[in-house]
Amino acid sequence: MSTNPEIAEQVREFLRDNLLYMRPDCMLEDHTRLLEERVIDSMGVMELITFIERTFGIRVPDKEITEANLGSVASISTYVRGKLESAAAA
Amino acid sequence: MCGIAGLAFADPRHVEDIVLRRIAGAIRHRGPDGYGVFTDGRVSLVHTRLAIIDLAGGAQPLGNEDGLVQVVFNGEIYNYRELRAELVALGHRFATHSDTEVLVHGYEAWGLDLLRRLIGQFAFALYDRRDGSLLLARDRFGVRPLFHARVPGGVVFGSEVKALFASGLVQPAPDPRGLDEVYTFWAALPPRTPFRGVESLEPGCWARYRRGQWQTGRYYAIDYPAAPVEPADAVEQLDHLLRSAVDLRMRADVPVGSYLSGGLDSTITCTLAAELSPHRLRTFSVTFEDPRFDESPFQREVAASVGSEHAVETIGPGAIAESFPDVIRFTETPLVRTAPVPLFLLARLTRERGITVALSGEGADEVFLGYDLFKEVKIRRFCQRRPDSQARPKLFQRLYPYLGDNERAGEFWSRFFLDAGVPGDPLESHLPRFRLTSAIKDFYSADMRGAVSGSDPLEELRGRLPDAFRRWTPVHRAAYLELVTLLSPYLLSSQGDRVGLAHAVEGRHPFLDHRLFELAARLPESSKLRGLREKDILRRWSRGVIPDIVTRRPKQPYRAPDIPSFVGTGAPEYVREHLAEDRVRAAGFFDTRAVAGLMRRADAGKAVGFRENQAFVGILSAQLWHEHFFRNFDVKPVREPPDVWIDTRRHADPVDSRSLNTTTTPLAL
Repeated sequence: MSTNPEIAEQVREFLRDNLLYMRPDCMLEDHTRLLEERVIDSMGVMELITFIERTFGIRVPDKEITEANLGSVASISTYVRGKLESAAAA
Repeated sequence: MCGIAGLAFADPRHVEDIVLRRIAGAIRHRGPDGYGVFTDGRVSLVHTRLAIIDLAGGAQPLGNEDGLVQVVFNGEIYNYRELRAELVALGHRFATHSDTEVLVHGYEAWGLDLLRRLIGQFAFALYDRRDGSLLLARDRFGVRPLFHARVPGGVVFGSEVKALFASGLVQPAPDPRGLDEVYTFWAALPPRTPFRGVESLEPGCWARYRRGQWQTGRYYAIDYPAAPVEPADAVEQLDHLLRSAVDLRMRADVPVGSYLSGGLDSTITCTLAAELSPHRLRTFSVTFEDPRFDESPFQREVAASVGSEHAVETIGPGAIAESFPDVIRFTETPLVRTAPVPLFLLARLTRERGITVALSGEGADEVFLGYDLFKEVKIRRFCQRRPDSQARPKLFQRLYPYLGDNERAGEFWSRFFLDAGVPGDPLESHLPRFRLTSAIKDFYSADMRGAVSGSDPLEELRGRLPDAFRRWTPVHRAAYLELVTLLSPYLLSSQGDRVGLAHAVEGRHPFLDHRLFELAARLPESSKLRGLREKDILRRWSRGVIPDIVTRRPKQPYRAPDIPSFVGTGAPEYVREHLAEDRVRAAGFFDTRAVAGLMRRADAGKAVGFRENQAFVGILSAQLWHEHFFRNFDVKPVREPPDVWIDTRRHADPVDSRSLNTTTTPLAL
């Protein structure tokens, strides 16, 4: 199972290649607020969800599409880690 | 419809005939039926004519009784018969039956007050030889364009910027701040244009040049003096003005057709036009092969209901990309959407079918609050009253069901609207759109960033809002912003005049009759946007008048597919050529690596979001614009004989410009 830093790195790479390629100078820290910093918008979040679902083999239900879960690299990795753990426990 | 252009100098100077013919050549597409010139060395006026009213006598430039007032005019004065009667009663003698002539006599009689008396869509240049002044004026909402540039010792003007460049007195160069406005608002806001040194006369304004002095003024200001309750006879008043607005716009000596989108507004226009037309109405629609954008069942239903002879332009997969370079040549600006292309093709179809005047429903959404953006304003305020509510922001999702996937974006989708601006910011209603468009600026080159650093289009707009703005309701403020930031500079231009006149087709917009606008502006907001029901009074009026299928139909915003047109198999070669690293670097607007990244994503089919779609169109159009206007700009002079050529340097002062038509010949080239 991926550790948090590994998940964070994969997410960061995805964001840099797909949503930040036109802003190479943008500092993408773990706690950078993706919505506030215009890294993702409503279409971007759809792409992010597709990426998460495909890469980590989890399903993101509509009610979990919140800023608390997906609003920063750190919150995404915590969220994904939690989903993976509960899947492993089941 | 026509093209106008000209030159004015503080001191008379020699102007070569070839220069005037080049200027005429630049705007010949607007008026293929003839052209005319007036020059006395101080002022030169050029006109290219599309004959619509007084086919025999309407050639221009046109003068008053003694030829001392000369005008070139683009557009229509719909109440010219009434004005003419008034002027005849005042003792003026008319030589023609054209609407143009009321301008010269009206100016003599009323001076600048003439402008307030005009019902119409117009841009004109009027030369008063008695005091050597040149007056430029433009209609209230900016249906017809008028550009000008100050040059050493004079001014150059024209319906299109290419006429200014054709004069040889204005060198084509981009204005980064104008471009920055395009990538904020979708268009540069008058007086700014994307061209350095070139200004657009603001709608509702005039400018006067007299012996080196330049003066401007406003004759029409938008206002919303909304009453607290709807007058009992509001629907009756609306009925009267709607019919009058369409009736006046049917005035022409050629058949008038109508565009038909299948929505409420164009259905109203078509229905009234069919009632008032002496011929069987001709209607024209654009539709898409892609079934997601196809509105043809609605269009056919309306056409059958009004009994029109209907023609349809069906847009296939390659059509957008194929015509895009031509469209940029006519719009004269980079674009962030491809929506002008289908309208360009619609005008071509209309012209091919022999129609040169077409009514449209343009303006109804602004005047009667039809856009979802106005609902956003209400929902945002509703949410702001209970910031902790989970349920209220979900209303945003209900607004845009046709955007499909966004429904899943949940909280992010609502936050896009809620977080865009500080409550109380005068631009609050439009900040989500302005910020979304501004995402294109992430692709700017370092040079472009440097050129626009220190300027802020939003702050400039805030600073230019009229004093009355604060008195209006939030929704009326949004309606004002919609008029001045989108309708005038973009919809009426890139989706209106410029693509219509590319094929010499004049658009007429009954909903932009200023009397109708003023009626709507006096109504309380709730008459137009009742709860979240848009265009309420218009719907009440239309019950029983237009087919039920249209009134019941949810609003479908006009959309055209973007990136898929330009990449993949069958995409035209020019796309890759213009987006190649060396070309992007040469133009200098965008960062080569960022553009390469976008191409990579587009090729992989990943650039499906709004931000990348608009960036792709914004960048490609800027590259095409750069190529046409700054690398290969070329205008051919008109070579055929003119209808009118008045040169007072070679002839005695004219008594009547018509008589000179037969006696004056230009020098051979």
